[in-house]
Amino acid sequence: MLIWLLSDYDHRKHLAFKGLLGRFSAAYPDVHAEFAVKSRRSLWESLFAHLRDPKRNPLADVIEIPQNWTELFARLGLLSELSSGLEALAQRRYPEFVLKELCRTEDTRAYSAPWWLEAPALYYRPQALKGAVQDPEKELASWEGFRAALDRIRPPSRKDNYRALSVPGSSGSVSVFDVLPRVWGRRGGLFSDDFNRATFNREETLGGVEDWLELAVHGKIELFSGDRLENGQQPADDCAFMISGRKLPGAARQGLKLLPYPGYPSGGGLLLVHNLGVSASTRDHGSAAAFVAWAMEPRNAASFAESFGAFPCLKPAFEERLREERETGVYRRLFSAPELMPNIMVYPTAELLLERVLWNLSLKIARNDYEREDLTREMIMAQGEADYLLSLY
Amino acid sequence: MLKKKGIEPGAGQATYEGRDAFMKACLEAAASQFALDGASFYEFDEKSGLLRLRLRHAFGVTFEHEENLRPAPGSAAARSLESLEAATSKGPGGSFLYSPFRFDYCDPSGGRGVVPCFGLVRLERSPRKRGFTKAESAKADAYLRSFLRDYYKAEFFSLNRKYEKNVSAITELTEVFATALRMGDSFKHILSGIQTYFGFDRVRLYLIDEKNRKLKGELSADIRGQVKSISYEEIPLEAGAHRFADIVLGRSSGAFMERYKDCVLYMPLAVQGVTIGLLIVDNLLSQQRIEPQELAMLKSFGGQIALAVDNSRLFDKVEELSLYDELTKLPLRRYFNQRFQEEFYRAERFKQPLAMIWADIDFFKEVNDTYGHQIGDKVLKEAGRVILSNLRKIDFPCRYGGDEIVILLPQATGLEAQRLAQRLSSELAELRIPVPFSTARELRVTMSIGVSTFPQDASTMDSLLEKADDALYWVKSHGRGKIALYSEIAEEKKQAEPAGGTTNAPAK
Repeated sequence: MLIWLLSDYDHRKHLAFKGLLGRFSAAYPDVHAEFAVKSRRSLWESLFAHLRDPKRNPLADVIEIPQNWTELFARLGLLSELSSGLEALAQRRYPEFVLKELCRTEDTRAYSAPWWLEAPALYYRPQALKGAVQDPEKELASWEGFRAALDRIRPPSRKDNYRALSVPGSSGSVSVFDVLPRVWGRRGGLFSDDFNRATFNREETLGGVEDWLELAVHGKIELFSGDRLENGQQPADDCAFMISGRKLPGAARQGLKLLPYPGYPSGGGLLLVHNLGVSASTRDHGSAAAFVAWAMEPRNAASFAESFGAFPCLKPAFEERLREERETGVYRRLFSAPELMPNIMVYPTAELLLERVLWNLSLKIARNDYEREDLTREMIMAQGEADYLLSLY
Repeated sequence: MLKKKGIEPGAGQATYEGRDAFMKACLEAAASQFALDGASFYEFDEKSGLLRLRLRHAFGVTFEHEENLRPAPGSAAARSLESLEAATSKGPGGSFLYSPFRFDYCDPSGGRGVVPCFGLVRLERSPRKRGFTKAESAKADAYLRSFLRDYYKAEFFSLNRKYEKNVSAITELTEVFATALRMGDSFKHILSGIQTYFGFDRVRLYLIDEKNRKLKGELSADIRGQVKSISYEEIPLEAGAHRFADIVLGRSSGAFMERYKDCVLYMPLAVQGVTIGLLIVDNLLSQQRIEPQELAMLKSFGGQIALAVDNSRLFDKVEELSLYDELTKLPLRRYFNQRFQEEFYRAERFKQPLAMIWADIDFFKEVNDTYGHQIGDKVLKEAGRVILSNLRKIDFPCRYGGDEIVILLPQATGLEAQRLAQRLSSELAELRIPVPFSTARELRVTMSIGVSTFPQDASTMDSLLEKADDALYWVKSHGRGKIALYSEIAEEKKQAEPAGGTTNAPAK
């Protein structure tokens, strides 16, 4: 049995999975299980390659996917229906906000099982804010307050690599996952509420993207960082703020504190949910389903997610983790009005369209020839393409 | 997968099933050989100056990850790329050795140029461990260089797979296009062929309807090979009306087309200089680039596709002319006989009823004689229209000859056939055929209709036809403009006959 795992900037996830699979193999000695780690882009290409030529490009038996890819790949016939065979789904043992988006069109049938989730939030180092921010909870609640704080923060002496803001998950360019929380915070989005038209060019969406790009234009975040090539990920003590969806290892020890993502007036936040799916073409459905069921057992789901600072999706494990969390107050606010990426057929493609826009603009910013009109033009084009897609699918 | 031929994977000793298998083997071998904490394989894009991470091995796991980084000027990575020599660095992040590679291989799209393969492998040790000594760096660099010679083989393996696919596409698609003429659903066959061998997200076919100046949708095949009709799509063939119309008219341009060029191909289909339609292939859902060699190959098939589509269309037209009556648009007797046989066989096998309607336009000869054949033709045309608009999909009408029309009604009882006959009769009676030169200015017509059913009235095809004809004759001989069920008139006749009569049907 082969499992495709989505790659992560945090190697703790890969190691956690290696450990999880080891325990599964001990519990199921007759099942030979191995895994490959694929980037999001590579996974997307592999799934489409299978659709184009199934014989030459076989699928793995179990696949980790972002939850909002479920509708697309279920409709393209790549995923097995899981709700009838998986107890956690049959008994609906997931938070309602997760199930609501997973089973958008149908109440019961589900083609993937929610596994772990993360909620982008703002870490800050109180010591680094001295003189720049008086009341972090109040001043950093709004984007404007956060943005002003970034301007006021001065690097400590003898810290050449110091940055006011660090984004550990960055791939080098500005990405969809950087801008979407801000777009959501402005009440923007890629599609209208009824999903009848694309809204890339709506003021709220454009503004959200622009807020983030502006950070890059003014050097608050570094694009295509050469320093990362030489020195790896920036250590947490070299920055005042960090935007991360994960609980940072040793955060308390380092004196880091947590706040909701700035600019969410409602107090909620954008959640990224990752699921496990079983390939519709697997020749070993029994083993694949057994693995998914085993991974969804509360103890396994909890220990896996905890290993890399994420939340398990399984309700009892999720609630227990929330109770035990040091920053429980912040997370309760984030989960009070959570928002998930829509699980509709064209959404993953719309994300790719936005990703291309951000890539083009990141290159321009890095070359110092970015202008506001570039953003408008790119978003108009992307909106046209997304609208066309909506008309087709 | 790695196929070992020697004791240690390395230069010239192994072959790999493609690039990914090669990179994985390279990083894992280097990590174990040089006690590394990590090793990364980067490709360098000279145009953007970015190093793109392809694969990384760390903490015993090999993984892909998306990372695009620009080497800082003067850094060890930048020096290594410039000089094509190994370089080392040591900093707070650990010790690093950059081993560059660069070689060219033939353009897989068949062009005369070469494609450069340029990048570097980064070997990493954590800050707690010792750095790379000069001797160790030289040894590691030599090891990687010897390993990277196999990269060529891995690339060759990938190219060979593509080449095999192309050869098979050329052979089989040529066969598809050549035999499309003989296929009942040839358009479907052509689209499926393109979809199977090129694997686009979608292939769509539009044909020009010259008479109505429209571009009409025909079929669409999706990535799973499912073909569906898009006949609901009709685009006025006028400049500016739609992007597709502009393309067919040769007036498309602009940024939008430029944007689409990587994942959409619009291919106007032309035969002898005349555009007959538009083939559109796209990867819009996956947003994946259509490879230039695939574009080139599909374009080279363009002429064949156009010819196959045109031939199929002509074939259908010829078939239509030979099977259908042009005036009434009803099938002709030859076609009817074939279908009658099939339907009768089905009715017998599945023990289902089969009804037959035989209709005749009353006084049609007089209409022709009095008002001329033009008006007679109008009457027939209208009758054909009324019949076609009232039938189920499974019913089969036919212009049997002159003004005689026969309709086959599978799975219909005598009563159901009678109800349909009543509807046809009423609608026809309501028609007003304009006759400008007559004093009445318009003409009204009626129909006489006879109905027979299997198995109630007849057990063979010939007798089913005969009994419907008998019923029609009875109507004609009893004042016309009515409907008669054979079973009813047979019963009536039976009762009217003296006891001991031998006939069981009305006499003609």
